Amino acid sequence: MNVQIQAEKSANAGMDVAEEFVIETRNVDVFYGDNHAIKGVSLNIPKHQVTALIGPSGCGKSTYLRCLNRMNDTIEGCRVEGEILLDGLDIYASGVDEVLLRARVGMVFQKPNPFPKSIYDNVAYGPRIHGLAANKDELDDIVLTSLERAGLLKEVQDRLHSMGTGLSGGQQQRLCIARALAVRPEIILMDEPCSALDPIATAKVEELIDELKENYTIIIVTHSMQQAARVSQKTAFFHLGDVVESGPTEKVFTSPEDERTQGYITGRFG
Amino acid sequence: MTEQTQDTAGSNWNSEKFTKGLAKRKRAEVRFRRIGLLAILTALTLLAILLFSIFSKGYTAFVQTYVTLDITFSEEVIDRNGTRDPEELRLANYAKLVQNALRAKFPEVTSRRDLRALFSLVSNDAADTLRDMVADDPDLIGRTVPVSLLAGDDVDMVTKGYIDRAAVEDDRRVKDRELAWLDILEADGDISLRFNRGFFTNGDSREPEKAGIAGAMVGSLYTLVITMLIAFPIGVMTAIYLEEFAPRNRFNDLIEVNINNLAAVPSIVFGLLGLAIFLNVAHLPRSAPLVGGLTLALMTLPTIIIAARAAIRAVPDSIRHAALGLGASKQQAAFHHILPLSMPGILTGTIIGLSQALGETAPLLMIGMVAFIADIPGSINDPATVMPVQIFLWADSPERAFVEKTSGAIMVLLGFLILMNALAIFLRRKFERRW
Repeated sequence: MNVQIQAEKSANAGMDVAEEFVIETRNVDVFYGDNHAIKGVSLNIPKHQVTALIGPSGCGKSTYLRCLNRMNDTIEGCRVEGEILLDGLDIYASGVDEVLLRARVGMVFQKPNPFPKSIYDNVAYGPRIHGLAANKDELDDIVLTSLERAGLLKEVQDRLHSMGTGLSGGQQQRLCIARALAVRPEIILMDEPCSALDPIATAKVEELIDELKENYTIIIVTHSMQQAARVSQKTAFFHLGDVVESGPTEKVFTSPEDERTQGYITGRFG
Repeated sequence: MTEQTQDTAGSNWNSEKFTKGLAKRKRAEVRFRRIGLLAILTALTLLAILLFSIFSKGYTAFVQTYVTLDITFSEEVIDRNGTRDPEELRLANYAKLVQNALRAKFPEVTSRRDLRALFSLVSNDAADTLRDMVADDPDLIGRTVPVSLLAGDDVDMVTKGYIDRAAVEDDRRVKDRELAWLDILEADGDISLRFNRGFFTNGDSREPEKAGIAGAMVGSLYTLVITMLIAFPIGVMTAIYLEEFAPRNRFNDLIEVNINNLAAVPSIVFGLLGLAIFLNVAHLPRSAPLVGGLTLALMTLPTIIIAARAAIRAVPDSIRHAALGLGASKQQAAFHHILPLSMPGILTGTIIGLSQALGETAPLLMIGMVAFIADIPGSINDPATVMPVQIFLWADSPERAFVEKTSGAIMVLLGFLILMNALAIFLRRKFERRW
C-alpha cells in the first residue's frame, strides 16, 4: 500500500510539475467509537483548484472534509489516524493549534448559519478574535472586501447593520462565505453549501466558487453530480469510507475507471 | 372496476362496523376534552376561592382607623419651664396630652378602671405622633388643634366590623361602655378610615395597629440580592462548564445526577446545612440576611443550573460550528455566542429560582431568621426576617387584628411574586430567538 502511494506520488510529480498539492493525506482512518467511518484514504488536494468530493450518503466524504480543519475534534468519540499534511506539516501532530488551523482552513456549512447579529458583525467576528485589524478603518476594509469577494456587497451595502439572519437563504450562505473569507484562509471547505438553496441562489454560489478558486483552494462536498461537473477541476468519488476513484473531473465523469463510479454518476445507485 | 377497488382497498368505508367505530372514536375524543376542561375549571375555582379568601380578609389591612381629638398642646405638660429646649420637648410626656383630650371629650368618666379603658381607645403610637408634630413646629405649644391619631387595635377591629356587637358582653374583647364611647366619637365624625401607610413603612410590632412589613421587605430584598449574587454566576458557570467543556465520563454523569437530585431535596435540609456551616463553622451572624442569602443560594443553585443547561442546549449546534469553524476557541464560542443566545432562558430560570427563594420559609427558620425584630435592617449583617417568615409569625399571633395583617402581607408577597414572574415572561418574549 505504502509503496503504491509512493509510486503514485512520484508519478504525479513527474507528470505535472506545475501541480502543487496544498493538502496531502495518507492512510487516513476515522473511527466514531467502533464505527470505522473512513478506511485508509489517501488523497492529495491541488492548490488553487476546486476539488469535489462525491459519493452516496454515509460514504464518509463529509467526515473526511471535517478532518481537514479538525472539526471532528468536537465530536465525542471520534478518532483520526494517519497523516494529514497541510503545506507539508502534520495537522494532527501534537503542538498544532487547531484554533489557528481553522483560521487557515475556513469552512462553509450545509445550512447557512449566520450568527444572529448584524451583517457587519458576522463578517467582522473572525478578524476581531484573531486581531487581524489594527483599527476600525482596517476592520471596515476587511468586512467590505470580504463581502465584495463573496458577491454580496451590492445587495447589502445600505443595510450592513441589519440582522444577518434576515437575509434570504442564498444571501445568508454567501454571508457565511464572506465571513470565512474575512479570516484570510488558504483553503475553504464547503460541506454541501447549496443543498438548502434554490436553483438561482445555487447558480450564484457556484459562480462565486469559480471566482474564488483564483485565490483559494476549495474542497466541496456535493450530492449533485451536475454541480461537481460544473465547478470542480478534480473529483474524488467516495464509497463506503474509501476513495474509489480520483482524478480530473472531466476524466472521472466521462471515462471512469471503476464500475462503481460509473454506476454512481449514471444514477444507477447512490 | 368496482370489484377491483373493493379488493385493493380491502375495506368498505360505508360498512356498519366502520361507522360504529368512527362514532366510538369521536365519543372518546369528546369525553377526553370534557374531562380536561373539568380539570382546568376545578383548578381555576380552587384558585379563585384561595384568592378570594385572602383578599376578602386582607384588603382591610391597607386601611387603618384614626380618631380625631382636639389636642391642647398645653405648656404645663410638655414644656414646664417654657424654654422650648428641643431635648426637653423630646422627653416630655405626650401621652398625657392624649389623656387630657380624652378626658375633656368624656368628662363623665372618672374611675381609674374606666379611664384606662378610655385611654386604650387610642394607640400608644399617638404620643409619638404628637412628639413629631411638636418637633416640627414648636409654635403649636399653647394651642388647641384637632389631630388624627392612630386608634387602638380593638377600635380598629370594631370599625372594620370584625367584632360582633350582638355577642354577649363577656365574650367580647370590646365592652359595652367602650362601644358607647365609640358611638359618640362616630356620631361626632371623629372616627375615620385612612390608607395605612405604616403597613409599608414600619417594622414589626407587638401592637397590631403599628405593625408593618417594611422590615420584612428590606430583609427579603437583602436576602434575595445575596442569593442572586452567589447563585447566578456560580450556576451559569457550572452550566456552561457541564454543557460545553466537561468530557462525558462517569464522574461527570455522577455530578449531573446529583445536581438533579439536589433540586428535589427538601428545603429544610438546606437550612440545616446553612446552620451547620455558616453559623457553627464560619460563625457568621445569626438571623442575618447574609446567612439567609447564602442558604437560599445553595437551595436555588440546582434550579438555576438545570434551567441554564436547558437554555444552553437549546442553542443550535450550527452556531457552535460557525464559531469554531472561524477559528474561535471553545471558550470564545461559549462566551461570545452561546451564552448571549441562551441568556433569556437562563434569566427566566434564575427569576423562577429566585421567586422560589422569596417564598421560602423553612430553611430560614433553621438559621434564626424567625426572631421578633422590630427594627428595619440596615445592612446584611443586621438581624432581620423575611416576608414569608413575617407571615408565619403574624399568623401565630393571638391578636384578632393580626389576621388581616397576615392576609395583607400575603397579598404583598403574592404581588412581588407576580411581578417577578411577569418579568420572566417579559424577558423570554422580548429576547427569545427562533432558528
